[in-house]
Amino acid sequence: LKGRKLLPTRAALTLTPAAVNRIKTLLQDKPDFIGLKVGVRQRGCNGLSYTLDYASSKADKLDEEVIQDGVKVFIDKKAQLSLLGTEMDFVESKLSSEFVFNNPNIKGTCGCGESFSM
Amino acid sequence: MSFLLRQLIKPGLQRILLQSPVASRHVASANPEQKIQVSESCLKRLREICIDGSFLRITVEGGGCSGFQYKFDLDSKMNEDDLQFGEEKAKVVIDTVSLEYCTGSTVDYHSELIRAGFRMVANPLAEQGCSCGSSFSVKM
Repeated sequence: LKGRKLLPTRAALTLTPAAVNRIKTLLQDKPDFIGLKVGVRQRGCNGLSYTLDYASSKADKLDEEVIQDGVKVFIDKKAQLSLLGTEMDFVESKLSSEFVFNNPNIKGTCGCGESFSM
Repeated sequence: MSFLLRQLIKPGLQRILLQSPVASRHVASANPEQKIQVSESCLKRLREICIDGSFLRITVEGGGCSGFQYKFDLDSKMNEDDLQFGEEKAKVVIDTVSLEYCTGSTVDYHSELIRAGFRMVANPLAEQGCSCGSSFSVKM
């Protein structure tokens, strides 16, 4: 067992095919960035809300790196516990298009779904 | 010569000026000062999605975490108490009751990395809102 690398049994964040496609198109015309970074911050009427940014490199070595279908997503080290097991989806309609996080850890969300509590 | 021309045009102009307020009053009985602005990004998006003749309908209804919330829909049927803003190919429609709660505000198509969608900004009647901007409370 010594020296064996601990491999996680499943990814901390899973991406739906729609999210993978969207991230691919987002990054297509931006060669400077290698992926997206997901985080949470204190905001909104229910405590926390998700943030999403372009990432040009792994900013912190404690950030979790998720690679799925050739798409790279970093999870901010402060957001790892709250995002564990989350499914990231992309929902598009004529009126709006947005990334939706199906998070099994949360207790409640705001009416609009943008902020959540746990 | 120019004086003559002006005299000829005048009655016609006056008739147009007199008629237009009457005509618009006939369409909707609301206070004509009540209106909403439509931002350029909103018009741009509406030109893309409203090619089939539909329009963006805004309604204000009770609900949300701050009392009232905005609802955006695509509709193709005008009602009697509807007012329209924007362009012919990019229409924003709101009923007079909803307009009372958001007169003076701007409809915007906001797009950022995490989400893109329609939203109402700078509502002078809203006191404070939810962080997402979809719900608000009205100044008393």
